[in-house]
Amino acid sequence: MAVDKTTLLDFYRKMVLIRRFEETVEEYSKKGHVPGFIHLGVGQEAAQAGAMAAFQKGDFVLPDHRSHGVCLLVGTPTREVLAEIFGKETGVCRGKGGSMHIADFARGNVGNNAIQGSTMVTALGLAYAAQFKQTKAVTFNFIGDGTVGRGEFHESLNLAGVWKLPIVYVLVNNQYAISTRAVDAHPLEKLSQMGCAYDIPGVTVDGNDVEAVAAVVTEAAERARRGEGASLVELVTYRWQGHFSGDPASYRPEEEVKAWKEKDPIKRVREQLLAKGWATAEDIKGLDARVEAEIADAVTFAIESPVPKVEEATHHVYVGREVAGK
Amino acid sequence: MRTLTFKDALNEALHQEMERDGSVFILGEDVAKMGGDFGVTMGILSRFGPLRAKDTPLSEQAIVGLANGAAFCGLRPVVEIMFADFITECYDQLVNNSAKAHYMYSGQLKCPIVVRTATGAGFRAAYHHSQSIEAWLLNVPGLTIVAPSTPRDAKGLLIASIRDDNPVVFLEHKMLYGATGEVPAEPYAIPIGVADVKRQGTDVTVVASMKLVHHALQVAEQLARAEEISCEVIDLRTLMPVDMPTILESVAKTGRVVLVNEAPRTGSHNAELAAEIAEAAWGQLKAPIQRVNALDCPIGFAPVFEDYIVPRPEDIAKAVRAAVDY
Repeated sequence: MAVDKTTLLDFYRKMVLIRRFEETVEEYSKKGHVPGFIHLGVGQEAAQAGAMAAFQKGDFVLPDHRSHGVCLLVGTPTREVLAEIFGKETGVCRGKGGSMHIADFARGNVGNNAIQGSTMVTALGLAYAAQFKQTKAVTFNFIGDGTVGRGEFHESLNLAGVWKLPIVYVLVNNQYAISTRAVDAHPLEKLSQMGCAYDIPGVTVDGNDVEAVAAVVTEAAERARRGEGASLVELVTYRWQGHFSGDPASYRPEEEVKAWKEKDPIKRVREQLLAKGWATAEDIKGLDARVEAEIADAVTFAIESPVPKVEEATHHVYVGREVAGK
Repeated sequence: MRTLTFKDALNEALHQEMERDGSVFILGEDVAKMGGDFGVTMGILSRFGPLRAKDTPLSEQAIVGLANGAAFCGLRPVVEIMFADFITECYDQLVNNSAKAHYMYSGQLKCPIVVRTATGAGFRAAYHHSQSIEAWLLNVPGLTIVAPSTPRDAKGLLIASIRDDNPVVFLEHKMLYGATGEVPAEPYAIPIGVADVKRQGTDVTVVASMKLVHHALQVAEQLARAEEISCEVIDLRTLMPVDMPTILESVAKTGRVVLVNEAPRTGSHNAELAAEIAEAAWGQLKAPIQRVNALDCPIGFAPVFEDYIVPRPEDIAKAVRAAVDY
């Protein structure tokens, strides 16, 4: 599917935003602004931006373990996502979620979850609710290759298959679950073939080709909206950094990392834009500068925002019932 | 007033709530066509149709996960986990998702699910169909644990659980399904977190739940007749949160406490209650707090093992005498 100028420019802007966001999170993590672990998606921007092109208002998305980008793409203000990662009161979950638990339910982001596979069983319920209420909502469930080993993966595909649930499984195969290569953990090289066992069509595409990603995910989403059930879309890509910020990732050959960095999905789109004459070098600079301004605003906002009031620690344990504080 | 069995009281509660609220549906293994392994969901499928009565594959994680997701979308799933022992299969969902969803996203999501499950020993069904699991759930803020002992309480508490906006684990002691008692025909809710003094007394406070309430009442009658010991029997009805005011009011009167619970002694619900009572009523106690529990062993198969391992009426009587004779 060839995309038009506006769409490609939009992909470019979103991918740069994700990359700069992730780099900023890492920078400020090193400076001590980010509590806990962070898992970055640098290198995986095309998979995120391409897949989310199919996301419509009223749909649900469950981001995976390195999906700050997906959290941005539902439309949550960049500053609120960053403030959340900083553990601030102005964060989208008021500092209760952090990097690994970012939801914006009003915009359809039902939250990432630090237990791999957990979102897959949640997705069943979001999709079942769509069947129950007879809406056209599609649930986009981002997962990583490591999640293929989880029981939740198989229980979910089985149930989604038999009930024909409107789910698009967006399997972002970055080829490593921390240090374990996907090929050493799973018997099939093409993980999309796992769908076969559950009568769920599977397709594998280059996850660094934003247009290809958008095309297959859109097709899968349309299929779900037509009531024809779930699809498993595998996007083959690569994370440039370690599993968490600070992981030197010495388990990966240097040549491999280098080769994948050459397949930079952003560079690819930039070159396309220039080659097609859809943007000049000046236009690109302008787009980059706008992203920079958005990031700078988010950083200032996140740093200057207050930490949550400690009394909130005991709120929201139960609906309608308080638990004792100190 | 008419009498119903415990099982039929639960069935009536489900019918009445599903009639009242179109967002309630049932979900689980064999709950629809067969009406549940113990017959609790009999007739729901024919009355409410296949969208509101869902048989599932043997996938407890998917069942509870689906319930969570559907609940996030405003539905009110009532899940059946056939035996409480199988709760381990969906423990991650209950602990890491149901219990935390409201909290970790700062109130954006609500998780009004009910997980009904058959608990307790007595069926000669050994290790994997006999356990009492409340202590496994007790250390999980966000969960509510309900445990009725009579048909009247079963109906009122199930209705309250369905109407509650929090995830509720609803324990049904499998030896009580056939128990009969008076049950009002109209729908009514018994508030969660409120214990019931099932027998007034002055010498010893006996605190129990589910099947063991009946043992405690039987022992109380015997001891009153034969040994002139007056037992007050408190039926907890809700194990989390516990109605401490009712317990402490009774302890202030009797100064002696016997705690009765069917789970193994170490780390049991009784241990927590004992600590709470010791902290709050130390000066009022005339004797050490007595705990009556199952032995710290699995539920052995041969009937002599099972009968020896779980609390018997004579174990309760012995503990009451120990408190009185101290």
